[in-house]
Amino acid sequence: MKFYKDHYDVIVIGGALAGLSAALMLAEKGKDVLVLERHNLPGGIASSFVRGGIEIEASLHEMMSIGEKNNRLKVGKFFDDMGVDVDWLKVPEAYHASIPGVEATFHPGLETFAKEVDEQVPGTYGKVLKLLQLCDTVFNSVNELSIHPMSKAKMLLKHEAFVKTAGYSTQEVIDSFHLPQKAQDLLAPYWIYVGTGFSELPFTIFAVLMADYIGYGSFLPRKFSHEMSLKMAERAEEMGVQIEYRQQVDKILVKDGRVTGVRTARGDEISADYVICSAYPNKVYTSMIEPANAVPTEAIKMLNGRRISLTAFSVIMILDKTAEELGIKDYSVFHGDTMDTDELYRDLKGLGPYRYLTCICHNLANPDATPAGTCSYSITTLPRVDGWKTVKAEDYDTVRRTVAKQMIDEMSKYLGVNLMDHILEIVIETPMTVNRYTNAWNGCIYGYAHTMEDHIVARLQTAEAESFIKGLEFSGAHQISGDGMGPAVTNGRKAAKNVLDAMAASKEAAK
Amino acid sequence: MKIKGFLKDVTGASRVTKARLNAFQTASAQAEKTDPIANVVKEWHPGKTELRVTEIREASKTAKTVRFERVDGKKMPYFRAGTFVVLDFTIGDSVISRPYSISSAPYEGRLGNGYLEITVRRSRGDGFIADHINDNVKPGDVFPALIGCGQFYYEPLRDAKHVVALAGGVGITPFASMAKEVANGTLDMDLTILYGSVFSDDIVMKKELDAIKSNRVHIVHVLSGDEPDWDGERGFLTAELIKKYAAEDTSYFICGPQAMYTFLREELKKLDIPQRRIRFEVFGQAKDITTFAGYPTEMKDKTFQLTVRRGIREDVIPAKATESIVVALERAGIRIETACRSGECGFCRTKVIRGSVYICPENDGRRAADKDFGYVHACAAYPTSDLTIKIPIE
Repeated sequence: MKFYKDHYDVIVIGGALAGLSAALMLAEKGKDVLVLERHNLPGGIASSFVRGGIEIEASLHEMMSIGEKNNRLKVGKFFDDMGVDVDWLKVPEAYHASIPGVEATFHPGLETFAKEVDEQVPGTYGKVLKLLQLCDTVFNSVNELSIHPMSKAKMLLKHEAFVKTAGYSTQEVIDSFHLPQKAQDLLAPYWIYVGTGFSELPFTIFAVLMADYIGYGSFLPRKFSHEMSLKMAERAEEMGVQIEYRQQVDKILVKDGRVTGVRTARGDEISADYVICSAYPNKVYTSMIEPANAVPTEAIKMLNGRRISLTAFSVIMILDKTAEELGIKDYSVFHGDTMDTDELYRDLKGLGPYRYLTCICHNLANPDATPAGTCSYSITTLPRVDGWKTVKAEDYDTVRRTVAKQMIDEMSKYLGVNLMDHILEIVIETPMTVNRYTNAWNGCIYGYAHTMEDHIVARLQTAEAESFIKGLEFSGAHQISGDGMGPAVTNGRKAAKNVLDAMAASKEAAK
Repeated sequence: MKIKGFLKDVTGASRVTKARLNAFQTASAQAEKTDPIANVVKEWHPGKTELRVTEIREASKTAKTVRFERVDGKKMPYFRAGTFVVLDFTIGDSVISRPYSISSAPYEGRLGNGYLEITVRRSRGDGFIADHINDNVKPGDVFPALIGCGQFYYEPLRDAKHVVALAGGVGITPFASMAKEVANGTLDMDLTILYGSVFSDDIVMKKELDAIKSNRVHIVHVLSGDEPDWDGERGFLTAELIKKYAAEDTSYFICGPQAMYTFLREELKKLDIPQRRIRFEVFGQAKDITTFAGYPTEMKDKTFQLTVRRGIREDVIPAKATESIVVALERAGIRIETACRSGECGFCRTKVIRGSVYICPENDGRRAADKDFGYVHACAAYPTSDLTIKIPIE
């Protein structure tokens, strides 16, 4: 008796957020979908693990694009529409900024945030609010244009701000507001969520980031990101999707320039009309396409013409005191010795000491996140892969501990508590950890860097020409919307939409 | 609105599109296939690795040490002292996995003929793989293995510099690995091992332990049996004895039989040790599940029907109430991947679609959301009704 059907409409490689979003959307349209996931649970890094009897979040800091129940943003709405009923908790603040000259907590809401900046830098309220409103306008345009594309002339009329800022970096647009440096610094902490310095970061991306997070706040699932991943998987199965865990896809089979199916590490050859792939194009085009000569040179040049974005380094601890006892007051703290994002970005090429740390205490959004009398505390930096690519296997353990210790010491100093005296459990996640569990290229979690040479607007313009193999779509952080768990869902939906459009077109052509 | 000027503002989109296409056109056409990050991962976690038995020797009157080398001739992967290896045994139509603490040191795996050793004691009738190793395994035999699993290792960022290891019986093995690594100068800790045995000739790996010469490793044998000539410590590993060997700041690592865990939990309580300083190795498969709190003993003689889904395939097999789902699958020749067999690692994560199970309370390492959706770790789940489950295709 066989394990698989003779044929599927679509095979989805990778059962993380993007792949599962694609599967949900296709299943809703009645398509026959198979999801193959190499790990034994869904979610990729959107997961959790248990150590010493305590469940620990693997990666999620905060989800964007969710929104309150009565005012959902696109990802929150997608979950609702698909019947994926996540128990969302609202993160109480935007962030606490611990940067030169500032120790202050900021809250979501454009006016609220502008007021809080004004308290630090009096006289900036009007300009900061105007900048945030510009972000909001661009954000609304991006959301609308992603559903209803339109001509350039019409776009200039209806989406003027979006069009007129598209060609500029974040720094160029911020400069046009003539804000004092300190106010500019207070607008920068979220930069790490998109991962390039402001002289390179397209303003479009900054606008979406600020409007979404500052405008609507952020959320997290009560039972860690595994709750979200699992509920997506369970719902997909309920809708008829077949999900198979522990199945690594080795090859994507191509005939006459068109996908015909996949072969798994186990040796199963499975036939499908379409494949949606969450593996990085770098992996796919260099070693997964069979025959290899089905990959055109343009695909390789595209890989080499893009810059791999950030990976992750996280020290996750369960501490043997409560947040209150340890003096941890904020859910999220951005702690840096400068707010010059270009300088910080350059620095991320190295192996530390890292100068910009993100600290999360889950208990402050979810008091029951850990057993009574304890709390969780994670310190994260998102390095570029350059430094980590030079680490040798024999030095790996020492390097990761050295970097972890630097981060623990830095935050101990900040908190005035020696965290080393309170560690019940400690897990150090590195680029190697990411690669081990997800196979992500270079252990990267952010796909390709958002730069002026790889601009989201340009990505949208040229997407069709970059579809090198018929029937093969990609989904994941390496796609148009880029990094983050919210964008992963959007990237997955986009892949599913492309497949549905292609199916409709071929049906039309057959008539 | 204006950023820099009307013309420059409205041509931004075409400017960035051109920039992107230009970046692609001028890029190299040479495919970059290697991923240095993945290469490090392969040296630490190569996945299933074939090991060949090269030597078997006595480790006590009832235990044997088995030495393995890699079939592919490479050195052993990097691993941390204290972790275990999972070996796959093919017995009849079944593939059965067992975890064994690695009794050799990590550095020994990186020598020219890099090897790895396990030390296994003959069971008292409840471990047929342990007996199989002692009776049947011979040099030249090959086993697929997963090396370096588990969380039972010294973590300098968390643990005290001074570790008191509390070992019972064959539970000495992870500490033997640590001790050798410390003596080699490649593990920076001070290790005092309090090793409980009944009689001196029960001591597992005695010769090897005696050969360790390091001022950072102290091995204290403690005999509970009546042995008149013994001039060392006597009795059990009591609070009083433990206190005698503890430094001001000490981490306690415990590995031994299940009865010893129960005993030591009470003893350690008397010493008022912070929770973060106590680390137990995993509990192991429950010896007799009917003795655990809440087990529905009225079920114990029943055999249920277990429907097993893998992909679109379905098989129906018998499952005894007193054996875990993993054991039922192994008996039926259905492969399920396991590692710790203590409900901790989650390798055997299984969806229960229909029916009910009893979960061994010592071994419940499930995620909260998994509990909500009927997922169990099959090595720690016992059927209490007919069941339908879904497991991965292996």
